[in-house]
Amino acid sequence: MSIKYDVIIVGGGHNALICANVLAKKNKKVLICEARETCGGLLTNDLTNFTPSFSNKVKSEIDNISVDHSSVSTIALSETGHHLKLTGNIYEDKKTLEQLAPEDVDRYFKLQKKLSLFSKTLGSFMHSSPPRILHKSFSDYFKLFKLGLNVRLMGRNSFNEFARMIGLNIADELEDNFKNTLLQGLISHDAITGSNLGPRSPGSLINLLFRMANHDNSLFGGIQQVKGGVNAVMKSLEENVIKRGVEIKTSSSVKRCIIENDQVKGIELDDGTSIHANTVISSADPKSTYLCLLGAEHLDTDFKRRIKHYRAKGRVSKLQLVLSKIPQFTNLESKDLSQRLVISPSIDYIEENFNYSKFENLSPEPILELSVPSVEDELLCHNGNHIMNVQIQYAPFNVKGGWENKKAECINNVLTTLEKYAPEIRSCILEQEFISPNDIEKNFNVSGGHWHHGEIQIDQLFMLRPIPGAAQYKTPVSGLYMCGAGTHPGGGMTGIPGKNAAHEVLKNI
Amino acid sequence: MNIDLTQAALKFTPFHNRTSRACRTNSWYRWSGYTVVAEYSTTELEYTATRNGTSVMDLTPMYKYEIKGERAKEFINYFVTRDLSEMKDNTVAYVIWCNEAGKVVDDGTVFCLNQNEFKICCAVKMQTWLKDSAEGFDLDINDVTDDIAALSVQGPTSCSVLKNYGATNLESLKPFESKDFTIDGYSVLISRTGFTGDLGYELWTNPENAEKMWDSLMESGKHLKIRPMGMHALEMVRIEAGFIQTGTDFVSTEHALRPVRMRSPYEIGMGWLVHLTKKDYFIGKRALKAEKENGTTERVLVGLDIEGDKPAHGAVIYNKKKEDVGIVTAALWSPTLKRNIAIASLMRPYGTKIKDDIFVEIYHPEELEYKKIWATCKVVKRQFYSPERRNMVPAEVY
Ligand SMILES: Cc1cc2nc3c(=O)[nH]c(=O)nc-3n(C[C@H](O)[C@H](O)[C@H](O)COP(=O)(O)OP(=O)(O)OC[C@H]3O[C@@H](n4cnc5c(N)ncnc54)[C@H](O)[C@@H]3O)c2cc1C
Repeated sequence: MSIKYDVIIVGGGHNALICANVLAKKNKKVLICEARETCGGLLTNDLTNFTPSFSNKVKSEIDNISVDHSSVSTIALSETGHHLKLTGNIYEDKKTLEQLAPEDVDRYFKLQKKLSLFSKTLGSFMHSSPPRILHKSFSDYFKLFKLGLNVRLMGRNSFNEFARMIGLNIADELEDNFKNTLLQGLISHDAITGSNLGPRSPGSLINLLFRMANHDNSLFGGIQQVKGGVNAVMKSLEENVIKRGVEIKTSSSVKRCIIENDQVKGIELDDGTSIHANTVISSADPKSTYLCLLGAEHLDTDFKRRIKHYRAKGRVSKLQLVLSKIPQFTNLESKDLSQRLVISPSIDYIEENFNYSKFENLSPEPILELSVPSVEDELLCHNGNHIMNVQIQYAPFNVKGGWENKKAECINNVLTTLEKYAPEIRSCILEQEFISPNDIEKNFNVSGGHWHHGEIQIDQLFMLRPIPGAAQYKTPVSGLYMCGAGTHPGGGMTGIPGKNAAHEVLKNI
Repeated sequence: MNIDLTQAALKFTPFHNRTSRACRTNSWYRWSGYTVVAEYSTTELEYTATRNGTSVMDLTPMYKYEIKGERAKEFINYFVTRDLSEMKDNTVAYVIWCNEAGKVVDDGTVFCLNQNEFKICCAVKMQTWLKDSAEGFDLDINDVTDDIAALSVQGPTSCSVLKNYGATNLESLKPFESKDFTIDGYSVLISRTGFTGDLGYELWTNPENAEKMWDSLMESGKHLKIRPMGMHALEMVRIEAGFIQTGTDFVSTEHALRPVRMRSPYEIGMGWLVHLTKKDYFIGKRALKAEKENGTTERVLVGLDIEGDKPAHGAVIYNKKKEDVGIVTAALWSPTLKRNIAIASLMRPYGTKIKDDIFVEIYHPEELEYKKIWATCKVVKRQFYSPERRNMVPAEVY
């Protein structure tokens, strides 16, 4: 048996490629096996449009990614046409708020300051492996101690406030502070996007902190649109790793890991080919990794229980509209359509939507995030036509009645909602493509079709991510690691799980 | 006797009409949702039947689970710590199973009916644990406790009784083997297994045959000192045999409220059932391997031979310096051995490296007063009693 590779990575999402890049820079021979025809996973223009930029800590460890990008602002649409545009730039935002929400101006910046202190504290833990629990090692205790210490170092008052807020729901916090319902709706939107929480669900605040930690610790800053879309990021990542000698096999779905004596020995592809390596890193989601790739027969009962209960049902669907012309939005210029437009006018609007999704139903008036990036970037046109990307929050996995029967209804709900802001939208549509969480599960190989490969909630974060006893990118089987969004610190285009996992692997090989 | 079953809080076993008639003391024992006889007449007589004749005991309340499917054998081998990869049809194995921390969930017996069908018989309700453990194996797992009427027939004349009953050639059945018999037109599974440490068998049949089976057995043993046995006598014989009992000698992980009360196999004398060399993974293997490698086992379960004749129920065990080093989990003045024996859980190295200078403090009740006895004791093999006939093939026939 000849071993050609030091490491095999299952899946070719961005975390896999970043992990491969870090490993290849340390002269490890890496093979990536991706099930789909192309790399990228959820990071594709079809699904992911606005992203944070990679942090310096990630950038410094990988080869240069040559893409252009521009910052985008967020515009909360109002049926009255009094849209609220926030950029993350203090001066601009202050001006805007003074006009539209004069009573909330000071409180807005106070809240942002407070939240950003907390998100920085959380963020400081994103770049190293979290401590393990259920293990009794000194370094784990030390890390836990440091986490505690950093939290304490915020100062007594901040600490008390942090402790108060960590389990809090975002609605309480906003309703205490703000008068303007559009502002409340917008901030709440970003606290619940991608999750299975409503604005009144305990813990919805931590989602927001998590998001801020990846977006320059700001509420609406740090959001970028890449020229050519996220596909351009993937292309650059791919070229870089290939230059480093990483081999990529696409259309190569991994069926299982080969395990001997509790040690990973390689992988077997769906077509029966076995490829050997003493280290395998899975970028697949935790449920797929454990229950499919590894197999129940290698796991303890308690572990299986935890992984089964890992919450990973996606709630975000996507609708792409190919347009014959740029639709007119009330009180918006067409170049504004390249920005992040949000339809989430109030907390109650979101909570009502959440109620539908709780029972796996569709809301007649969904929460939307949309843009037509091609108005600024012709690379993103489709056969010369503009494309509108619409993200539908709370369009649930396993919708009652089944997506095959519910798709048309959902699209209609989206368009009816859009018509309130862009009355002629229907007449501009040439083609439409709808992707439900079930489609994401099936076509992108992510069980549950979840944005983050699993909920970002207090019991599924840090040393508890994905589940207690399996943090630190390790699995119970030696040589098998994880590097996807299901690991610490979670999903989004950050590359942090991939980078951290590479470090953990390098410590051991 | 007419009893309204719908009014009973506890279930009656299929033998209830017979056991209740035989029970002269009206003394009952609550067992896994059933009521069974604690004492029929005199516990000592029932005990004596096991050691000198044959005792018959209603085993129906033992939980029984059926495990069926193509991966049944692979699952069983993953479920228990013992290597059962070579297990043959119609055999039985004594096993334990652990949780991920390598702590014992329960002990029991596995019956291999064929390579795709097994039964597990145990003391603790295991449906959820089995189902959750079987996640990913695609098996059919059913609780068949109520579908099987079970009796244990134990003692030196037990083989003869069963031969009279119709189990032809039973003497050739080896320990831990089982065989299907058709007797009086109904089928009975007889295994050479038991909880008494003596020659003995366990019988499973459909509940509808229960009373017939009971009657035929009593008839067949008429001249072979047969007698129904209650739970109290069982406790005596099992201590002599050194068998551990879940809930008494250790607490199942399913019942322990405090993690520190959970025990690893090495702590309850079950290390011999842990096969770390087993090729495949089994639940708890990683933890048990680490425990073995790091030598972190804290306790040991031992047999004690105690001075005097006062049973040391629940007694605390001390070292020379009067420091508390363990506790007695089960104790008995053994009528057969004429020794004061006990099963005890000790903090290592007591019971392993240090076997001398161990004392028990026995509080012996004497007419509303306690006599405090400070007795020396010796660490001995837990299997206090194991007659040769227990494992002889062919079995002794009278
Ligand atoms: C609808 C939606 C909208 C989103 N919007 C945004 C956004 O606006 N901004 C943002 O930052 N993030 C967004 N995200 C989240 C972000 O895209 C993901 O969190 C991130 O891309 C995850 O990257 P990954 O590399 O960890 O995993 P993935 O991208 O899921 O990659 C995993 C790869 O592994 C492959 N794979 C799985 N199993 C196997 C197997 N057995 N054999 C071979 N290959 C296998 C898959 O095919 C996939 O390519 C969104 C996600 C969704 C679903």
